[in-house]
Amino acid sequence: MATNNGAQFNRHPEPTFSSDQLVFTSDEKSAMQGYLEMYPEPEGAIMRGLWLAQEKFGFLPPEVIRLVADELGIPYARAYGVATFYTQYFKQKKGTYVLDVCTCFSCQVCGGYDILHYLEDKLGIKAGETSEDGLFTIQEAECLGACGSAPMLQITNGRYVHNLTESKVDSLVSDLKDGKMPAFESVTLPQDETEMGGNRRDDVESLEYYKTPPVAETFE
Amino acid sequence: MEVAKQGTSKAGNWRDYERVLLPKVKNLHKLEVYEENGGYQALKAVLTEEKWTPKAVTDEVKASGLRGRGGAGFNAGLKWSFMPPVDDKPRYLCCNGDESEPGTFKDRQLLEYNPHLVIEGILIACYAMSITTCYLYIRGEFADWITHIEHELEKAYAKGYVGKNIMGTGFSTDVVIHKGAGAYICGEETSLMNSLEGKRAYPRIKPPFPAQKGCWNYPTTINNVETLACAPLIINKGAEWYSAIGAPTHPGPVLYGISGHVNRPGVYEFPTGMLITDLINEVAGGMRGGKKLKAVIPGGSSTPPLRADMIDGVTMDADSLRTAGSMMGTGGMLVLDETVDMVTWLKRVSHFYHHESCGQCTPCREGTGWLEDIVGRIDRGEGNVRDLDLLADLCTQMEGRTVCALADAAAWPVRYTIERFRDEFVAKCKPTLTPAGSPLTVDA
Amino acid sequence: MATVTIDNKQYEFEGRPLLLQFCTDRGIEIPHFCYHPSMSVPANCRQCLVKAGTPAVDRATRQPKLDEEGNPVIQYFPKLMTSCSMEITDGMVVHTHRSSELVERAQKDNLEFLLVNHPLDCPICDQAGHCPLQIQAYKYGPEGSRFEFEKVHKPKHIKLGPRVMLDGERCINCTRCTRFTAEVSGSHQLTIIERGVNNFPMTPPGVEFDEPYSMNVIDICPVGALTSIDFRFKARIWEMSSAPSITATNAKGSNCFYWVKNNEVLKITARQNTEVNDYWLPDEDREGYQRFNDDRPHGPSGKTDGGMRPMSWEESYAAAVDVLETADPARVLFVGSPHATVEDNYLLSKLAGHLGADTPVYLEHTVPGSGDNWLITDDKTPNASGCERLGFNAADVPLLRSKIQAGGYDVIYVLEDDPVSSGLFDSNVDAKVILHYYNTTNATLAAASVAFPAAMIVETVGTYVNVDGHAQRVRPAKAVKGVNRTLQMEMGKSRLDQHGTPFDKWYDETKLVDCKPGWEIIPEVAKGLGLELSYRGPKQIMEEVSTALPSFTGATYESMGLVGVRLSDTPTLV
Ligand SMILES: Cc1cc2nc3c(=O)[nH]c(=O)nc-3n(C[C@H](O)[C@H](O)[C@H](O)COP(=O)(O)O)c2cc1C
Ligand code: SF4
Ligand code: SF4
Ligand code: FES
Ligand code: FES
Repeated sequence: MATNNGAQFNRHPEPTFSSDQLVFTSDEKSAMQGYLEMYPEPEGAIMRGLWLAQEKFGFLPPEVIRLVADELGIPYARAYGVATFYTQYFKQKKGTYVLDVCTCFSCQVCGGYDILHYLEDKLGIKAGETSEDGLFTIQEAECLGACGSAPMLQITNGRYVHNLTESKVDSLVSDLKDGKMPAFESVTLPQDETEMGGNRRDDVESLEYYKTPPVAETFE
Repeated sequence: MEVAKQGTSKAGNWRDYERVLLPKVKNLHKLEVYEENGGYQALKAVLTEEKWTPKAVTDEVKASGLRGRGGAGFNAGLKWSFMPPVDDKPRYLCCNGDESEPGTFKDRQLLEYNPHLVIEGILIACYAMSITTCYLYIRGEFADWITHIEHELEKAYAKGYVGKNIMGTGFSTDVVIHKGAGAYICGEETSLMNSLEGKRAYPRIKPPFPAQKGCWNYPTTINNVETLACAPLIINKGAEWYSAIGAPTHPGPVLYGISGHVNRPGVYEFPTGMLITDLINEVAGGMRGGKKLKAVIPGGSSTPPLRADMIDGVTMDADSLRTAGSMMGTGGMLVLDETVDMVTWLKRVSHFYHHESCGQCTPCREGTGWLEDIVGRIDRGEGNVRDLDLLADLCTQMEGRTVCALADAAAWPVRYTIERFRDEFVAKCKPTLTPAGSPLTVDA
Repeated sequence: MATVTIDNKQYEFEGRPLLLQFCTDRGIEIPHFCYHPSMSVPANCRQCLVKAGTPAVDRATRQPKLDEEGNPVIQYFPKLMTSCSMEITDGMVVHTHRSSELVERAQKDNLEFLLVNHPLDCPICDQAGHCPLQIQAYKYGPEGSRFEFEKVHKPKHIKLGPRVMLDGERCINCTRCTRFTAEVSGSHQLTIIERGVNNFPMTPPGVEFDEPYSMNVIDICPVGALTSIDFRFKARIWEMSSAPSITATNAKGSNCFYWVKNNEVLKITARQNTEVNDYWLPDEDREGYQRFNDDRPHGPSGKTDGGMRPMSWEESYAAAVDVLETADPARVLFVGSPHATVEDNYLLSKLAGHLGADTPVYLEHTVPGSGDNWLITDDKTPNASGCERLGFNAADVPLLRSKIQAGGYDVIYVLEDDPVSSGLFDSNVDAKVILHYYNTTNATLAAASVAFPAAMIVETVGTYVNVDGHAQRVRPAKAVKGVNRTLQMEMGKSRLDQHGTPFDKWYDETKLVDCKPGWEIIPEVAKGLGLELSYRGPKQIMEEVSTALPSFTGATYESMGLVGVRLSDTPTLV
């Protein structure tokens, strides 16, 4: 259970970014302007604004949240309350690759924890921790909406990696170490598996699509 | 619990069923392909044909018997008819693509393979309710899919299907994609509205209902992605066609997301009213490794689990599942085999609700954690048999007493898993000894 | 008239009132935490549950369904309803915990949940004794706890700002405090952060909770999560008495309670008055209560050949009479006071009139631009309006100063003010000065020939008129030395049959200030000058004022009561 330890609670943390760094480019500013136009009131733009900032700065320390609030012209407290509500906004610095391993509902019974523990052993860190080289953070995730291809994980709020096996994890980790992000996997509609070879989209980068396992190969 | 054993499939000749939500068309997600396959014709019809007044569209959807696919199963057309008469104030549609209910992954597939059907459905709903802005709320984790849809939406804008003066008819609607950021509760309709408004995504009390006071306090309707995707089909083929598919009281094509210990997990489109046993044994290729079935959770983590011996003759529609002691939910079905320890499984489910409670209201904020604590203690072998009664008590204290239904959703799995797998729980509890030293089954 | 049945008793109502408010207004208690009448209704504490139903209607005939005895059939809502958010409709039937075991059980259940992660540190909590959670847990809560796990830990002893302390673990997440900063004060300095059971209110990092109304959240927090840094651990609530009165910090006259222990004011809290300040007080109204306790004089004094010396009250009256008796009335300046009550100022004007001197003037104390169009005014005194309505003009300080410097006055009679600090004259002024003063820090003391220690707003009975023309009474919160039956009648008693027993929190003899209200001093001086001002007390003075002066019509003690009366807009000269 996550708890906030009173003694360690710091209301005035040292900023990570200097005021020189805390600026949006004109492109980013016009993107923000675009977000404001998407909603009848500026507050609506806060989530998009925080996403943009997180992509830019990697995480959302307070000074970045304040920057977004100021840019959108909304109360900082409001933005901060929102940022801390959602799990995908990183309030702490994380590794380059955040591996969100789903251990929820379906994944837990399809080996989600095995994958998590395998990763923990492999990277020498526990869920919630970041590797010393700053490359990996492992997290235990709630259902990511891909239960049909359990166990699965998500990389840094982005790419899904489906149907994990230990060897798939091995190659994923070594690819990521080389800076190679796996390609988008189009998950098959099993009803099309025989007739249309999976009927997968052909406009995504990867051609190594996931194939519905026809038999129980993956289960011992 | 009485078990309905006599049922037969209501899905008719499902083996020959022709899919309509996810039809057998290559690259249907591309606007060109969608157009070639009759795409946006339903929209064109409602916008140009005289008989399709907004009310007529609503009535048609109402008559089709389409029930919401987001979990609650409310008649969609009826919901649309709750919108107040048009005035000069804004009104909104929210398309709910938060899809965070554990075990549910069908909206993602629909958005991946047939995004234009969803967009067309949104536009038809907007026309029916005279709405000029729709927010398509997609959970933040679906970042890749958001990119894909944004791309297709842009194309639809360029072609004049969305935006100002659609197809030259004078009707205008914007579709705005809102990206979530990791919170199950945002799928709850009023929480979704607060999330859109840039507030902490606390659900709101009802009344006022969204149709009276929704987004930014204006009339709002919220529908699930799959629900809205049915609208173009109903317009094209008629309410009668739609209502004849599947279970009469819960008709239509439905996306079954089958996961867990089956050979071929995935999203399947079939009529409602499929026998659970057909879905497991025939559709999904049977139990993985030939293991024995233990339990089925028919419609996402919030729906009570059914023991293997409770599913005979049970079909996937609201009535049958209610009789069997569960719910249709999202149609995201988890199949568990005999290897699963239901206590451990329940502990993880309880953790989910504890983690996802927004913390706004007392019974849920305090109760979800307490449930997890107790189930966890039993799982570790440190629980007592009387803990089971305490759990049931806590469920009673949470159910129906909170702002939103998350507390109920957290309580039901606990209540019914214990009720239906009590032996497993008792077996994990500490044996209770009387002073004389003989074990008791129930703690004094 | 529409009716609602609550616990089998019928009530009439108009409009669409909220059930909880409706019940509260009628003394039907329903436990609750998050509801606050001046803010939005989130219905998040879930404590105020009731069972409610409406008359069932026959679908076909659209007529109410009736049972065999002809009574309407009540269709109950499937779930218990939060009374704070439920509008009453005609024919509604409501069962509170008094007539429904289910409701009683639900309220108990909810309190059990509220307490599972609560630290239960009442023995060291400032809120204990007047804590809605503590009180309602005793009244409606479960006997024990079935929670056997470690409680959630959250930040404690956090100074949110200069005045407000947070104990996150005590918080029950009612969001009253964050709604206050978002909806009432608009400072947006607080937000709930995190999610779920880890929720607690906080400022965003780097922000101090220092808005000018911050301390209101202490009043409205239903637990001891938000406490006053200043008041922390000073006294338990049951060791204090409270007096309903108004604040004197500015011209708004916000309603408050003065809390007294051992005859010292220890804190000031807001008191509801929808006409004036709703439920709120600016922080400046709550601070500076020390001036009621510290630097207070010990009896009157007067100048003799050997300089200032303490005098008895009789001696001091005689000394004042001495000074005034011989003076040329045209050369006597009466300075009224926007700090003093209407009654005192009125008596002063009568004295001036009796002697043939000009109508008193008063000194303005405004800080232009410091007001906020809400509860803080530019004017830093509570009764300038009252002075105006008595026909006093604000002194033109430079003009009057040069006249005084030029020797234009022989005597200056100052009621409860500090003209030296205001620059009206210097402490070495030639004129003889008679001074009513509050604190020994008063700079005019050095110039005084006779100095009367005056009772302050917390020690007197009287009337003030606020910036909007709202006339309000003040009541004594602490006792002064000597016997004054009027004052003692007005004090809150521990025992109704006795005056000032040692059980009363304002009794402490060592802390009694030897001072008197103006309405006791001025008649004594007037008597020596041949004017009988024999009123039975300020109440009678105000009766005279309200009949004699149109600008005070209606301002009797009865009609002012606890909430005051709005006076008509046109002040008329005497
Ligand atoms: C805790 C909770 C989570 C929910 N999550 C979702 C969700 O992720 N997606 C969804 O479509 N509906 C979800 N719902 C249901 C919505 O509140 C709402 O009923 C639905 O979106 C309405 O659409 P429909 O009538 O088309 O089903 C959720 C409800 C609750 C109580
Ligand atoms: S039931 Fe739970 S999730 Fe829903 S509003 Fe209450 S605390 Fe939030
Ligand atoms: S600190 Fe007090 S007022 Fe604020 S949310 Fe907590 S309990 Fe409510
Ligand atoms: S349970 Fe892992 S993706 Fe749904
Ligand atoms: S007072 Fe009604 S829910 Fe809190």
